[in-house]
Amino acid sequence: MSAQHLLELENISKYYGNIIALRGVSTYVNAGEVTCVLGDNGAGKSSLIKILAGVHKQSEGTIRMNGEEVSFDSPRQALAAGIATVYQDLAMVPLMSVWRNFFLGAEPTKNLGPLKWIDKERAQSIAKSELAKMGIDIRDTEQPVGTLSGGERQSVAIARAGYFGAKVLILDEPTSALGVKQSGVVLRRVVEARNRGLAVILITHNPSHAYPVGNRFLILDRGHSMGSFAKEDIKLEELTQMMAGGAELRELQHELELAISAGSSGVR
Amino acid sequence: MTVTEVAAVPKSTGATGDERLAYRGVFQRLFIRPEIGAAIGAVAIWIFFWAVAAKFGTAGGTSSILDVAATLGIMAVAVSMLMIGGEFDLSSGSTTGAMGILTILLVKETGDLGGAGLSLWIAIPISFAVAMGIGYFNGMMVERTKLPSFIVTLGMFFVLKGAKLGFSKLIVDQIQVGRIDEGDGYEFWRKIFAAEWGRNEHQLGSRDLIYTVGIVGGVALLVLATYEMHFRRRQQRLIAGAGVFGVGVIAALAGAIVLHATDNSSGNWLGGAAIGVGVVIALYGLGRWRYEPLAHGGPARLTPAVIKPLGGASVALVLAIICATALDSESVKSLFFPFTEQGLRAVLFIGFAALAVAQLMIAANRARMISPMSKLVVSSLNAAVIAFLAFFIRSQSGVAKFRSELFTSLLFVALLIFVWAVCGLVYAERSTPDRQAERLALRLVVVGTIAAVIGLAVKLLYTTEAEIAAGLAPAKFSMRIVWFIGFAAVATWVLGRTRFGSWTFAVGGNKEAARQVGVPAGRTKTHLFMIVSGAAWLVGMLLAFRLNTIQAGTGDGLEFEYIIAAVVGGTLLTGGYGTAIGGAIGAVIMAMSFQGIPSARWNTDWRFVFLGAILLLAVIANRSIRTRAEATRRAESGLPPDHAADAAIADGTP
Repeated sequence: MSAQHLLELENISKYYGNIIALRGVSTYVNAGEVTCVLGDNGAGKSSLIKILAGVHKQSEGTIRMNGEEVSFDSPRQALAAGIATVYQDLAMVPLMSVWRNFFLGAEPTKNLGPLKWIDKERAQSIAKSELAKMGIDIRDTEQPVGTLSGGERQSVAIARAGYFGAKVLILDEPTSALGVKQSGVVLRRVVEARNRGLAVILITHNPSHAYPVGNRFLILDRGHSMGSFAKEDIKLEELTQMMAGGAELRELQHELELAISAGSSGVR
Repeated sequence: MTVTEVAAVPKSTGATGDERLAYRGVFQRLFIRPEIGAAIGAVAIWIFFWAVAAKFGTAGGTSSILDVAATLGIMAVAVSMLMIGGEFDLSSGSTTGAMGILTILLVKETGDLGGAGLSLWIAIPISFAVAMGIGYFNGMMVERTKLPSFIVTLGMFFVLKGAKLGFSKLIVDQIQVGRIDEGDGYEFWRKIFAAEWGRNEHQLGSRDLIYTVGIVGGVALLVLATYEMHFRRRQQRLIAGAGVFGVGVIAALAGAIVLHATDNSSGNWLGGAAIGVGVVIALYGLGRWRYEPLAHGGPARLTPAVIKPLGGASVALVLAIICATALDSESVKSLFFPFTEQGLRAVLFIGFAALAVAQLMIAANRARMISPMSKLVVSSLNAAVIAFLAFFIRSQSGVAKFRSELFTSLLFVALLIFVWAVCGLVYAERSTPDRQAERLALRLVVVGTIAAVIGLAVKLLYTTEAEIAAGLAPAKFSMRIVWFIGFAAVATWVLGRTRFGSWTFAVGGNKEAARQVGVPAGRTKTHLFMIVSGAAWLVGMLLAFRLNTIQAGTGDGLEFEYIIAAVVGGTLLTGGYGTAIGGAIGAVIMAMSFQGIPSARWNTDWRFVFLGAILLLAVIANRSIRTRAEATRRAESGLPPDHAADAAIADGTP
């Protein structure tokens, strides 16, 4: 490799017993760029995230950050290295307030001798201003996260990762459970995070969500990499075709057109 | 909050963030607290037993309630914390007895095997360490094996149950172990765990004065705080209004002095009237002085939504009066189990009267949505009904506490409701938050609560010469009450203000998400188990020093009562939601029913029926409160109410 990338994967493989989840996957992401990982169900996307997030270890291959080889034994280590993962369903504690969620695990404290307690005012005002920077208007940070919409919850998680100094942000299917409009909100946050200098890895099975925001696309199919492409080298149609495989193309394209026309006509 | 007010909130004014906060009215804010259902229930049950049982509500009755509530409550608070963290501990009840037995066995020197014959100075730390070990083991097992805590602690329950029996028989050859007072250092530790405050040995001449000033002052400050939170402040204060306020306060005080000094009917009426007029003048002056006037009160219009509860109230009121007049107040003949005619009359009257007032409150709340004028009409009606009930009870009842205390309290409540409605018509409600007003109101609430608590505590802890002369039943307050209040206060602070508290909610609400962001989930849960076993140790000590003898079965089976108290207090069974203070209130509710049922001369076997009914009612009430709370917050945050998935989360269903 010529240049040093912020995060680089080389020939990553993962075996669960005799099952091959991933074989020889390579890609990279730079600061201020978005790399999209695309693939249908069972393509190996989850395994890839879990390796990056420190949940599992790769069976073969190397991960490099800024050119140095790294290896994570736990999510905490990955987090400490600057890799924050936002899972689609595990992002937040729904019954807890927005500010508590925002600072969960890293609450600012005040102390009097050995007594330590949360600096609530500071936490609330920081949470509010950080969310405002992301363009999220939360009037009352005391409201439970469960009352936010799915898109807003993802947005809060992204803002949190950014505030706590993540260099690489991994988003696991952030749009899969959302409607068209909410998906747009989340994709805008992705762009904002990227513009703030974060390296973003966006995992999705929806090429029309990936294409507008991505700089680079890694396509997975049944554990194999079908290639890693820069945006200028590939078109949305090609992306879709590669993802689905030639045989299913026509059907899918038809569905996609319907979906896009429905989306642009404002139906949600 | 009315629809128009929501619309009036500026959607986003940008610069100053706080002004965009949607304003929640004072009552709305109160009604979304997790423990509010339990608090209202506690007051209702207190009033119920106070009305039907003679001994209930006296210092002696209160001391025995608190005595029961203390040990139950310490455990309920700890169990609430654990349940918020998403786990159960079925060994908690058994641990209480086990710790008592262990401590006693350690200080004994009997039999061939013999106890260790240790000093209490060594035995007590050892038993504490064992308790911590039990909690650590429970937590570690749950974490390591990933088994449900239900199963792990069920195993621990049987281990402890068996160990208690086994060791008791092995060492002292009995199923009870006794005489902790043989231990070295007993006198010191008895003071820590079982010192008692005999009320009759403590006289305080100025007790009634302190009590009256504390309660009246406290209530007055709470009323002021409510006004301060509810009405919109003026830009420029009217000093003339402050003068009127002062005149009203002086009039009310003069009335109180007249009431206190005279003891005849005309004096009472004069004093009462002066207080009433004084309060009206003072609150009107307060409004003139500080709050912005309302331009117009709107039409006095009643919609079907308002008329329906009004109809219900009328029916309930008529039924209450029929029940009170048709049934004989003197007859103690048993009608059907468990009621005497007298008891049935009281229950039916209280039930229907309470229903009528509740319906009127619902009507007033709906009328408020229409216009302040409509609210005034319904609220005046409500005040009139309460005043009528006050006079009706006075005319019908021969019991002194109904004729004096209840009568005056009801009249006072009627007065406050009426004045509140009038002020609602004259002054404008606040629709935006006001930091300064909030801060002042919060201080008023704190000072008012402290004043009321001091007044109440003085009344409970001290007696007067007159009472002694009249022949007073002794009342003793135990040290365990101090432990209970202290433990509940510390637990509330820990849950609300510390990182550990935040993590407790997080691991109970969504453990994987918590772990994901770096919360040490396993450690948090283990510490929670240790808090429960630590509390069980404390209760074991309280029992051992109180009773001197512990049965091998002590505490077994009580773990379900702890869980009930926690659930009644608003803690969610599935974790992630609740308060520590709720568990304490739940324990007080249970203690009240345990003490109130025999005081009312009902068969105590029925207390479990009562307990079960309370549990079901509490769960249903808490659920609806939580759903409403989420709905309110959703409406305020400007989100559409149609996220099915989010609603499910707000319901607590996964």
